[in-house]
Amino acid sequence: MAAPISPRKAWHEWNLYLFILPAVLLIGLFCYFPAASAIYHSFFRWSGGEEKEFIGLKNFYDVLGDGVFWNSFWVIGILVVSNLFKLAPAILIAVLIHRLKSERWQYLYRIVVVLPMIVPGLVTLFIWKSFFDPTQGALNRFLDLTGLKTALVALDRAVGWGVFHEGIPIAWLGEPSLVIPSLILWGFPWIGAVGVLIYLAGLQSIGSEVYEAAQLDGAGPWQTFFHIEFPLIMTQVRLSLVMLIISTLQGFGLQFLLLGQDGGPGGRGMVPGLWMFNRAFLAGEFGYACALGLFLFAFILGLTWVNNRYVRVEKT
Amino acid sequence: MNSTLATVPPPPRADEPAAAVPAAARRPRSPDAFKHLVLLLLLGISLFPFYMMLQISLKDNALFFSSPWLPGAPESWQWQNYLYAIGLIFPYVANSVVVSVTATLGCLAVSVGGAYFFARYKMPMSGFLWTAFLVLMLMPSIANIVPLFAVLKGLNLLNTLWALIVLGIAGGLVFSIYVLRNFIEDIPKDLFEAAEIDGASHLQQIRNVVIPMSGSIIGTLAILNFLSTWNDFLMPLIVLRDPEIFTIGVGLIYLDGEYVKQWGHIMAAFVIASLPLIVIFLFTMKLFIRGLSAGAVKG
Repeated sequence: MAAPISPRKAWHEWNLYLFILPAVLLIGLFCYFPAASAIYHSFFRWSGGEEKEFIGLKNFYDVLGDGVFWNSFWVIGILVVSNLFKLAPAILIAVLIHRLKSERWQYLYRIVVVLPMIVPGLVTLFIWKSFFDPTQGALNRFLDLTGLKTALVALDRAVGWGVFHEGIPIAWLGEPSLVIPSLILWGFPWIGAVGVLIYLAGLQSIGSEVYEAAQLDGAGPWQTFFHIEFPLIMTQVRLSLVMLIISTLQGFGLQFLLLGQDGGPGGRGMVPGLWMFNRAFLAGEFGYACALGLFLFAFILGLTWVNNRYVRVEKT
Repeated sequence: MNSTLATVPPPPRADEPAAAVPAAARRPRSPDAFKHLVLLLLLGISLFPFYMMLQISLKDNALFFSSPWLPGAPESWQWQNYLYAIGLIFPYVANSVVVSVTATLGCLAVSVGGAYFFARYKMPMSGFLWTAFLVLMLMPSIANIVPLFAVLKGLNLLNTLWALIVLGIAGGLVFSIYVLRNFIEDIPKDLFEAAEIDGASHLQQIRNVVIPMSGSIIGTLAILNFLSTWNDFLMPLIVLRDPEIFTIGVGLIYLDGEYVKQWGHIMAAFVIASLPLIVIFLFTMKLFIRGLSAGAVKG
């Protein structure tokens, strides 16, 4: 803890404030001021410049009636739910690495898990975008090569989607009904390196005597997982769950890069953040974008609060 | 799992990993071979995009279309793809290096000072400031993006690299100060008192006590901050207009849009864009891995 200090000594040590001053200035200017500015400008018609016109609550009424904005919450809802399932591969990988007997191999696998992180996320995303290319992309070539395309076409005929056709390359990012599946599919098999590392850290806190006791009781690998490993990394899983939900809600880089500023064909991949970005920098409606941002802010803050209040994991 | 084995790992034989473990230590019906199989399969698929990047980067379009999966014969390797890509994106890489390095150093300098302020004494106002900083860790920052543009415009920083540098510094501050404060508070008080008796100013105490004692944590924070500025593309996209000052993120977006697809050139550009991170990773593997785990707490 920081040492208590008497007012006289504090007066004498006034120059300590010089050390915090740069941080206060930067955070004030680039964190607090924009937040205040967002609230202020949400009451104006404003295109980012000097001119602005006070319009009261009109922006907020417009948000309430904004079909694109509320629809985008469905898209983000689907992505959040699919991201929940994408947590599983990281847990599986962490448990498998942890259960290996050789420490050398554990270390090697840990490095391999981290390797994708040293490629900028943008590059990974663009490589996947090239996979989605209808004529030259690896995904369609793979489906043709393995005959899975024929299976998809047959399935399409049986169910009647009207999406997959014989002889026509699949337009992963061009066909409206495939936009969301593509947003989910990219990054397969979804091994989050950070997730694996924090689960491994959690697993390492399990003592070997716990495993020995379980083994004596005749617990199999599945029972060991559900009764020992999973409960003990529950804190870490919950942590990455919360981070995942918040970052999915705020993020729009993925949709921007894969689909462009309009959210792809038919706007099927439009998410709230992208709509805010679109309104500000494409339509020049900065005031309206501020109001959108505040709705999103309130929504995420509410979720964070609910999470802290009700979704407690008992620490055992 | 098995502590006796864990102390001295036997040298693994690459061809038969499970055989390195004595049979008695194995659990019946779940030998390590199966785990290796699953791990290699899943990790293999997750590394597949990077394999594709590397092998396509050495092909021309004709070869890529005729045989997309396997690397071409060494004599067909198109090294000129790399020459071309270097000419194309080297300026972007250089801009990114300038921004990321300056922002990282700046952020660490400001955070060490700030953390020192919070850690040494309970100065008047420090409680208030601490709360004001910490609140930002819980707050979603999404609503800030639009007004930030106006702030930068007001400061005349639009279309400059300085905008990205100051944003990079400000963006990493709260988390770095939070981590460093806890770290500095754990440094024994005697060290500071001894330095003070010797007449050391606060700046000298930071230089001679704080920095030597917290080298590894500063390294970890440096990697985290570097990664986040290096990977950022949204702010550069909003802020930068002139191609001469594009950072790697905007540069690649620009390439993706403007270009008649010569896949070999594009993939070579991707490889070059990843090189700085690869170099950092090779030199700081341990810090890197620790940094990523610590970054999880950042949210």
